[in-house]
Amino acid sequence: MRWSRKADNDGSDKRGTYSNMSQDELSGLIARTALGDRAAFSSLYSQTSAKLFGVTLRILKDRAQAEDALQEVYVRIWRRAGSFRVGQASAMAWLTTIARNQAIDLIRARQPATLEYDEAPEVADAAPDPEARAVLSGESRRIDSCLSELDPDRATAVVAAYVEGLSYQELAEQHAVPLNTMRTWLRRSLIKLRECMSR
Amino acid sequence: MSTGTHRPEDNALAGEYVLGVLPIAERRKVEERMARDSGFAALVQSWQTDLAHLDEAYQPQTPPQGIKARVDARLFAEAAKPAGGLWGSLVFWRGLAFASLAAAAAVGIYSGNLIEQQAPGSAPALVAELGAPGSSVGLIAALDPAEGAFTITPAAFSPDDGKSLELWLVPGEGAPVSLGLVPSDGGRLVLDQPLVQQISDGALLAVSVEPLGGSPTGTATGPVVLSGSLSKK
Repeated sequence: MRWSRKADNDGSDKRGTYSNMSQDELSGLIARTALGDRAAFSSLYSQTSAKLFGVTLRILKDRAQAEDALQEVYVRIWRRAGSFRVGQASAMAWLTTIARNQAIDLIRARQPATLEYDEAPEVADAAPDPEARAVLSGESRRIDSCLSELDPDRATAVVAAYVEGLSYQELAEQHAVPLNTMRTWLRRSLIKLRECMSR
Repeated sequence: MSTGTHRPEDNALAGEYVLGVLPIAERRKVEERMARDSGFAALVQSWQTDLAHLDEAYQPQTPPQGIKARVDARLFAEAAKPAGGLWGSLVFWRGLAFASLAAAAAVGIYSGNLIEQQAPGSAPALVAELGAPGSSVGLIAALDPAEGAFTITPAAFSPDDGKSLELWLVPGEGAPVSLGLVPSDGGRLVLDQPLVQQISDGALLAVSVEPLGGSPTGTATGPVVLSGSLSKK
């Protein structure tokens, strides 16, 4: 597979800091945080802040902004802890979503609020090809196997968009295609992915 | 999870939102739709679950000391002193400081959050952020002159066992004056009234590490670990 999810070798530390705490324990800390338990909130911070700082830093690529974003992330976590539902998302995924959304909102706020197209992007026929369907017959289809059904450069674009928080404009520049072509590619890729994940 | 009843356009839009590629105006539109269309919100949730496997790519990075203290100052300031409105003002004051550090475009976001937390009619107060040179804030000390007391938000670090943190007023000339020991987990530090009158806008505060119970000599004996100036809210 040509797309890579391996992080840059950028001097990261405390690898897997949160992994010694189970998702159940993290869920418990979020639940206690929702009840106003500040000690639980402090534990949650110490267990997860390195991972979430990794998220804001990777997307914002600026330490000062990533620190401000991290502060806002934990303010939101405190305020929204009551909306966490065990079973809907894993505890770490729920926390990471808050961090990604905060970081992405910050960078998008500095960019044009809308996209300018020559023409509306199409969402055309995205029927999966029968061969790919036959190859994938396992019970559990994670995003990894479904990404491998896409053209490698489309899969790379999906992963880079998610992990790095790239905008359509940045993706179009990286792939040297017009903006609306990029959007059409990506939307078709997403529909293929959804179809694959639902099988 | 089946999402077969959704139109391809909705699937793509929910996926675009979770990837994060949409411009800000479209992100807000998607969020408005999530609020009124539970089927669409479930579609977004299923994308979030599926794409969360990519979160492995984020390598942990230790954040600087002091972020948690800032979070606590924003969240718990009101609870720490509900009557005076001082802490609401502190939050506002902090917000201005952050906004000036952040990129210009971020200002609206922060000030938008903070203005609604500002307590009206707050008493005059002096606030200092104490930090080590070149690092983040370690604690925030807010003086309410009327009450003659500092309220200290939890420090980002604790002294080693057998040590105390002591707060000092550092005058322009002459020896530092002890204001008392920093409460180990935050709280109030009540001063004698004559001491309060020595403290004015711009006064420099410092925190030193001292033997348990404070400096035995009346002057700072241990290393100064934090310092900062008081200024009006």
